Amino acid sequence: MSGESSMILLGIGTAGSAMARGVSRAFGGGLRLVLADTDASTGEAGGPFALLGGDRLSGRGSGGDVVAGRLAAEDSVKILDEHLDGVRLAVIVTALGGGTGSGATLETAKYLSSRGIPSIVFATTPFAFEGEDRQRNARGVMSMIEDAANATFFLPLDKLVADSDNMQEAMRRAVDTVASGVTLFWRLVERPGYIRLDAERLRHILSGAGRGRFATVTAQGPGRASEVVDKLMRSEMLATSSGPVRSTLCGILAGDDLLLSEVGKIADGIRGAFAGLTFDLATVNDEATFSGRISVVVMLFESSGKADDDARPGSVMSGRRRKSKSALSVGPTGRGRFNGAEPTIWNGEDLDIPTFIRKNLNLDF
Amino acid sequence: MSNIYAALEIGTTRTVLAVGESEASGRLKVTCHAEIPSTGVRKSQILNINQATQSIRSVLREIERKQEASGAKITIGNAFLAVSGQHVKADHFSAPVQVENARVNDEAINSVLRAAHSMALPKDRELLDIIDQDYVVDGMGGIHSPKGMSGRLLSLNTLQVHADRNRIQDARTAADAAKLEIREPLFAATCAADAVLEDHERKNGALVIDIGGGSTGYAVYIDGYAVTAGVIGVGGDHVTNDIAHAFQTTNAQAEGMKTREASALVTADDSSPRVRVEPGENTLMDNRTVSRRALDTVVNVRMMELFTVIRETLEDHDLLHRLHAGVVLTGGGARLRDVDALAAQTLCMNVRIGRPLHVDGLEDVDFPASFATISGALLYAHRNYEEHSILDGIFGRFFK
Repeated sequence: MSGESSMILLGIGTAGSAMARGVSRAFGGGLRLVLADTDASTGEAGGPFALLGGDRLSGRGSGGDVVAGRLAAEDSVKILDEHLDGVRLAVIVTALGGGTGSGATLETAKYLSSRGIPSIVFATTPFAFEGEDRQRNARGVMSMIEDAANATFFLPLDKLVADSDNMQEAMRRAVDTVASGVTLFWRLVERPGYIRLDAERLRHILSGAGRGRFATVTAQGPGRASEVVDKLMRSEMLATSSGPVRSTLCGILAGDDLLLSEVGKIADGIRGAFAGLTFDLATVNDEATFSGRISVVVMLFESSGKADDDARPGSVMSGRRRKSKSALSVGPTGRGRFNGAEPTIWNGEDLDIPTFIRKNLNLDF
Repeated sequence: MSNIYAALEIGTTRTVLAVGESEASGRLKVTCHAEIPSTGVRKSQILNINQATQSIRSVLREIERKQEASGAKITIGNAFLAVSGQHVKADHFSAPVQVENARVNDEAINSVLRAAHSMALPKDRELLDIIDQDYVVDGMGGIHSPKGMSGRLLSLNTLQVHADRNRIQDARTAADAAKLEIREPLFAATCAADAVLEDHERKNGALVIDIGGGSTGYAVYIDGYAVTAGVIGVGGDHVTNDIAHAFQTTNAQAEGMKTREASALVTADDSSPRVRVEPGENTLMDNRTVSRRALDTVVNVRMMELFTVIRETLEDHDLLHRLHAGVVLTGGGARLRDVDALAAQTLCMNVRIGRPLHVDGLEDVDFPASFATISGALLYAHRNYEEHSILDGIFGRFFK
């Protein structure tokens, strides 16, 4: 296991597997990738593959049936075990609307949670033209996936494509968008630059994050820093909001020509536009990939719109608890300096994890 | 020569060594003490023997330097060790013996004492303290002087406090390498209680909570003796860690915010002045301010949780309602602003910050509660070892 990443990328369902392959290609190797589908043909392209529900569906897919997808995953999700040794963070890429993407993603996230592995889900939601059935399939599992996973990014396909795209272009653009976002995120963790984001800090941010939004933008030439900030301001992916931003994660990926003043300009711009309680910044310096240009990935996590009305002076065992999200589901996240020490468990909770995280308190004062 | 004792505490945040001397009056005087920041210790357990040894060497050198400055010249050869950490457990044992002639005499009492004190612990546990509680004669408990009572079966209830033998050995190994012999390991929380409790408090029911850096020990006294004790693996370090995570600061910045600004009670509102984060290594985050209410909230929920764990533990033992003398807080964690008020709210009892009552020589200490444990360890030595010298031990030396 030595030298192997502690993060794993799971592509679930046919479309999710395609996106995960795109991420793998864009990353250029060294990424732990596993594809899981009820359709055996997904595995024919090679790479680690887990056939879900082989006995139940005989490798023919779920036929768009979410229940069949869930049952298939329930039957066989443990076959992922052989790929999970040493994994401390799982990134799931999937497309909601179909049977396996919707059903198996939920069961996989639940299984990872039961094993104490935090998971982040990047999930596309169907185009409007795909019809109400697929929209309903997606809507039906979104809240359940939110509860099972530690952080979720739901990406409406309608927002990922341009009106002028034909069908093929639209699908490719959707896959590229998701793939580029996940790839940039992955690079932040696996190939940190001069400003590093501590792995534990990252796990902490993502573990208690809930639903988030993300966008990636790229610019080059003089004024590129201002340009990426401007693009982010206008990004539709960051525009919709159900509540104030709780935390912001920003990654700047560039070549060796990245200037400190550019870092400052981008950080100030993002902080000014999406002020949250916490702001984390990391850079990746990869001359071969990013020479002359800057790519920025921004992830925003929102506070609940619900007021934290039971937080009152002098007594704060209050705070909002996330339904069905056990304190242990964040695993070792947030243990910080207590990593490696014997955990303190009380009523099933790991007391080494900050209390405000376990109580899911809103600190937006 | 009067008796001289040394006590050592290898804590998560600091290593403390103190020297005490029996005075003609019969009281104990702390003649010298020193403390240095600990390294290699997490949650009250040694994770790096070499670093712990270095800490012990440093504190020994500091003591010797202070002794030399005052004209004395002593190299300490042994010390009593105050132990904490969540590996410390307390269990009740009862050892029954048959009473001859149906009347309890000295022989029966000695017999039951021997039986109670020779109860074997598992091989991986080491005894820290054994507290005689009450005698039971034919099922009737609460007896302190059974001599002369009629009955056929006499037993003695004891509270045995024991620890993971390997963890104690780690401390011994680190101390040995620093040329210091561990004389006897003692439980930190009962040491603290010995130092800070008045006799009437022990009788009327008192809870001592010793808030350390990596763990919090507690001991409950009723009718004059300890009835239960334990350690929770949460201490002041957890508060620091929580602040660092909440506001994305270094541990040093978080520690500064905790000690200088934070309160255990959330009384600030949105109009309160914000708290400035001292400049640190993360230059992009310099000159930040954070909400005082948010800071206090982070601290409040952590400390309230700690007190809640203790409250629920005591409720399970049906002890909470018997603590008529209230709660005494000791340890460095008791320095946190308003922590006594929060404890009073959470435990619904009177709470005071403890200070060593039965020792002299600590008048110049700015926060005496943080010396309760080390004082109690010295008191234990003072009360139980009439003839003792810190010069004993494999490395003891004396320079005139």
